[in-house]
Amino acid sequence: MNLRIGIALAWAVGVLLVAAATSPAVGISRDESVYVEAGASYARFWGEALRSPGRVLELADRHYAWNHEHPGLAKGIFGATRAFFSSFLGWTGDVQGSRYGAFLFAALLALVLALWGFDLAGPPGGALAPALFFLVPRHFHHAHAAVLDLPVSSLWLATTYAFWRSTSASRGRLSTAGWAMATGLLLGAALATKHNAFFLPLVLLAAWLLGSIRGRQREAADHAEGGGPWAFAAMAVLGPLVLLATWPWLWHHTLPRIRDWLGYHLHHENYPWMYFGELLREPPFPVSYPFVITALTVPAAIGVAMLGGVAQAGGRIVAAWRGRATSVSLPTEWLLLLNAIVPIVLIAWPTVPHFGGVKHWMPAMPFLALLGARALVTAGRLLSPARPALVTSLLAALALAPAAWQVARVHPFGTAAWNEIAGGAPGAASMGMQRQFWGDDLVAVLPELNAHAVPGARIWFQEATTLAVKQYQRDGKLRPDLLVASGPEDADVSIWQYHQEFRDREFRTWTEFRTARPVAGAYLDEVPLVQVYARPGAWR
Amino acid sequence: MSQPPDHHGPSYKLPSPPPPDPTGWFELRRKARATFWPPLPVAWAGLLALAVAAAGLHGLWFLGSLPARLPSPTDWKAVAALLARDARPGDAVVLSPAWAERAREILPDRLPSWPDVALPLLALPSYAEADEDLPGVNRIWLVSLPGAPGVSPRIARQLAARSEATEGPLQVGRLDLTRYDLRSPLLPLHSFTDRLASASIRSPGARVTRETREVDLLPRTCIVVSFPGPLPEPATLAFPAVPLGRALRGHLGFVGDVSSGAPPVSLRVKVDGLEVGRAEATAARPGWSAFQIDTARISGQPRQLTLEVVPSGPVPRGVCIDLVSLP
Repeated sequence: MNLRIGIALAWAVGVLLVAAATSPAVGISRDESVYVEAGASYARFWGEALRSPGRVLELADRHYAWNHEHPGLAKGIFGATRAFFSSFLGWTGDVQGSRYGAFLFAALLALVLALWGFDLAGPPGGALAPALFFLVPRHFHHAHAAVLDLPVSSLWLATTYAFWRSTSASRGRLSTAGWAMATGLLLGAALATKHNAFFLPLVLLAAWLLGSIRGRQREAADHAEGGGPWAFAAMAVLGPLVLLATWPWLWHHTLPRIRDWLGYHLHHENYPWMYFGELLREPPFPVSYPFVITALTVPAAIGVAMLGGVAQAGGRIVAAWRGRATSVSLPTEWLLLLNAIVPIVLIAWPTVPHFGGVKHWMPAMPFLALLGARALVTAGRLLSPARPALVTSLLAALALAPAAWQVARVHPFGTAAWNEIAGGAPGAASMGMQRQFWGDDLVAVLPELNAHAVPGARIWFQEATTLAVKQYQRDGKLRPDLLVASGPEDADVSIWQYHQEFRDREFRTWTEFRTARPVAGAYLDEVPLVQVYARPGAWR
Repeated sequence: MSQPPDHHGPSYKLPSPPPPDPTGWFELRRKARATFWPPLPVAWAGLLALAVAAAGLHGLWFLGSLPARLPSPTDWKAVAALLARDARPGDAVVLSPAWAERAREILPDRLPSWPDVALPLLALPSYAEADEDLPGVNRIWLVSLPGAPGVSPRIARQLAARSEATEGPLQVGRLDLTRYDLRSPLLPLHSFTDRLASASIRSPGARVTRETREVDLLPRTCIVVSFPGPLPEPATLAFPAVPLGRALRGHLGFVGDVSSGAPPVSLRVKVDGLEVGRAEATAARPGWSAFQIDTARISGQPRQLTLEVVPSGPVPRGVCIDLVSLP
């Protein structure tokens, strides 16, 4: 095994093991609770369809009706790993079993980042690029949950890498056609994971076209055009085929269901979101939002390295355009730069829903990590030609140490992570930013709930779904005798999870329970994330 | 046309000798230039390295120093003990920053010496006189986290501006405790919200309760009148034998979010059957709107006060009304 493959595999295995080890502390978010059940339903489909192929359409309608607003591939993989680890081996609970599918996507992301980082900047680049991505606390958090954002980021990166290899002189063992086929298959997998992959071919096309305009650059050492069109043909043919093949929901009533699917996302609900003390409810949303949130959530030193990488790519493009850098591959630079910017710009559009922290523009972040890694390695080489590894290591340590510390500090409250520029969770709360979202922080008060709630107590779990509650109970994290209440009015215990737009529910609890004094809570650096209220006599 | 060959053979040009540099000045200048004006790529690399190093060191300092800037459980318990000992009826606790609501879990919500008396804990963004009346509050205990990132002294300044005396701050670990004695406390003669049980209510199809609800994202304890039906009729709340002073001071606002619209609700205030003032809640001007009605000329004797709440359409979440009579 060569060093390149060794570094990539080490990263993939490392990410998988760390995610698996740290996952039990992470709570179940609203969307994850749905995807876990949808995945189980999809896994049942494949089992039953193999036994009764004649009933396949009826089975598809029954099993894929679950959460049919998103395609089936990633959730199907969650279902498959759950069936294997939880049902077949009995090694894990249902949620952790489903999450193994998510860990595989995280491992794939680490693998491709390491390979591409190595290709761009040698062994230090391969070692650094995955670190610059996974030591961002919100990315580390997303590596755990069985949801769609990290998987689609992973497949976006893998598709782009295959495309790059298909257009690059250094193709390795695969031919141009082989990498082009891989591009098509991976794009299909990305489309079959989440709809934002529809934008990827446009980014690739733009990069390819811009890369072919060369200004005064006469040659490009490492670039041999000719693969691009093959990759586009493969994407056009294989992409939809993979989407259809992996999503049985589309196996009949195909066009109306595709129309419904895309229509759902074109008219997606705008969830309220806090931004500098203002509750964003309806468009137009501030264009600054994704840029500011990125600047306030990515650890500052990593953010600086990423910005340096963007500047370096821009500089290389300008230099090559002017004919001053003949060795620069313009298509490569455009590919990296556009992929690092376009997903963020797409979300900046004022009518696009702004919610969910950083997850909607996460496909940009691996490319920023690649650019950051290359910038740090280049800086090491330029500053100390005799000992580049020493300087690069020093810079990497300075960039990664605070990030690693922050990851350890905020885990498992990844959706509440804010960087030192924001002032951490307290600084962000002072600025009036979204504190956390979608119910996973509930997990932090489950031990208190198990210890103190009276037997048979009715609990209002507020932001957590009933599915999540059942999953906690099935996995042994929540007492089975506790019941789900529909609101504070019929609850003995109310678990308030801080969302400004739902604040009235907390105040209704005060009225109903005749107290504004919580009995327990979960806090990150003093910032309340979850507070538990109980009626007199309901808390032992 | 080609040139004829040079019969003398090729000629060589020797480089000019270096200038004499007996003092070493020129060499020093060359080295200084190489150091301070490096080639552009090296300069950019140096700049990036400096920025990464500065950001990384700042990040380490921030994370290392953060715990020492935030209160410990012991600090909270010590403040709770102080408040339990020193607070008295008419006191309230204010948090700065407002998000520091761990205080709700730890600080006393009632006075140990007067178990029937609540010790209100306020977590509001502003305490300027124009924003908050603070009815019934004589003294305020400000519990602040001076070291927490992003905290501003604005709340302390607002309280100081409306106080005649200040005691503290007393530093309790990483918490500061300061007492403010309000200069002109608003001490109502009568709170209609608190006396809702004494009112006779005629509300066909409407629901009238005393609740704490969200108005413009903040908690307000008020009379909530909700009109869930499609053709709501006015609700009438009659309070017998109310002591009136110089004025009636009130607030009105929709419960919850009305960004998608809500029909206007009118509040008519009548004394002995005669309308003395009105206020209106509209979705175009959401929030906790204050109004004041002069009652100086009819003060002195207890009178019947009637609140007539007139909706112009369904308001299922309701409208929140708070009203006091001022001495």
